[in-house]
Amino acid sequence: MKRVSVELLKPGAKLAKPVVNDSGMILIGEGTVLKDSHIDRLQSMSISSVFIEGTAGPLKTREELLAELDARFQKTEGEPYMLIVKRMFKDYIDGMSI
Amino acid sequence: MDTREMRTQIENIDTLPTIPSILRKLLAVIEKPKISINEIGSFIANDPVLTSRVLKVVNSPIYGFPGRISSLNQALILLGLNVVRGMLLGVSVFEAMQKTMVGLWEHSLGCAIASRIIAKKKGLKEPEEISIAGLLHDIGKVVMGLKFPEEYGIAIADAQHRQIFMIDAEKKQFNISHADAGGWISLKWNFPQNLVEPIEYHHKPHLSKTVPMQTAVVHFADVLTRAAGFGFSGDNFVPAVHPFVWQQLDLSEGDLKEIVSEFEDSLGQAEDFLLSDE
Repeated sequence: MKRVSVELLKPGAKLAKPVVNDSGMILIGEGTVLKDSHIDRLQSMSISSVFIEGTAGPLKTREELLAELDARFQKTEGEPYMLIVKRMFKDYIDGMSI
Repeated sequence: MDTREMRTQIENIDTLPTIPSILRKLLAVIEKPKISINEIGSFIANDPVLTSRVLKVVNSPIYGFPGRISSLNQALILLGLNVVRGMLLGVSVFEAMQKTMVGLWEHSLGCAIASRIIAKKKGLKEPEEISIAGLLHDIGKVVMGLKFPEEYGIAIADAQHRQIFMIDAEKKQFNISHADAGGWISLKWNFPQNLVEPIEYHHKPHLSKTVPMQTAVVHFADVLTRAAGFGFSGDNFVPAVHPFVWQQLDLSEGDLKEIVSEFEDSLGQAEDFLLSDE
């Protein structure tokens, strides 16, 4: 189970917990596979995040992880020491069994 | 609003109607300059949610106690008053953190874990206290988000839109940053100096006068947490390590490698401790 911001929800995600309003009334039941119409409704309400099934998100490939690392370091790669710091994380990703 | 007015507003956050009730109750207890561990203990014990959160955090990779801690008393004795006070504040602002910024709790947790790992590697005396400074380093974002929800929302959107650092978006919107706000509120809340300075100076670590080492640790832990891409603190960029911190910590490449690897491994386990499964 993980918590996902309503802005980032995609159709097909399955609710791991019911969505309830402030007074505890169930708006969308547990186990519901979300459709666009659900997501639109959630986004129009004052609900910021919901619980959906699954673990830490889709497993990423090494290329994706490295591309994200590059993106995170883009502003400061040229600063002192930052290449060393980045290399440590790159080495860790390279050493992962994925 | 000038800085002085801003400070007054932030310091009076206790009076906000929207402040989480658990935090309001807690502040009444922790603002007392002298409080005994028994008083804190009975305060926690009276609240089952708080008790379960404290035990969850105590058993999380933030600390790395090999055996699991099952009772509140055990936790209080092991961690001591300052750590428990800070941790209570962390778990009490958990909802407010999630509301301010989805991912800020994870970012804070990551920073707490990294702080402990770095502190241990440096052989510092109280790694648990330093990890609390890591947990609370962005408390200023929470108080700004609580006090000025609309304006802070604008700053968040601005950081996103222009792809800039959150701290720059804050300065543009408020003329102050979350580090200023965090420093003010932690003085108001009678935090010890080894929490105040890391919170106030985690972006300007060279200004820390009384606890430069602790401040350096939290600064570097923030960098590592963003580098690992764990959680979200307003932008997706890794800030530069301050040269003062690099010299202060004086870590070899071997040290760094071990820190990063232990940190990444701990983050893998941290998923279970995000308090989100309540």
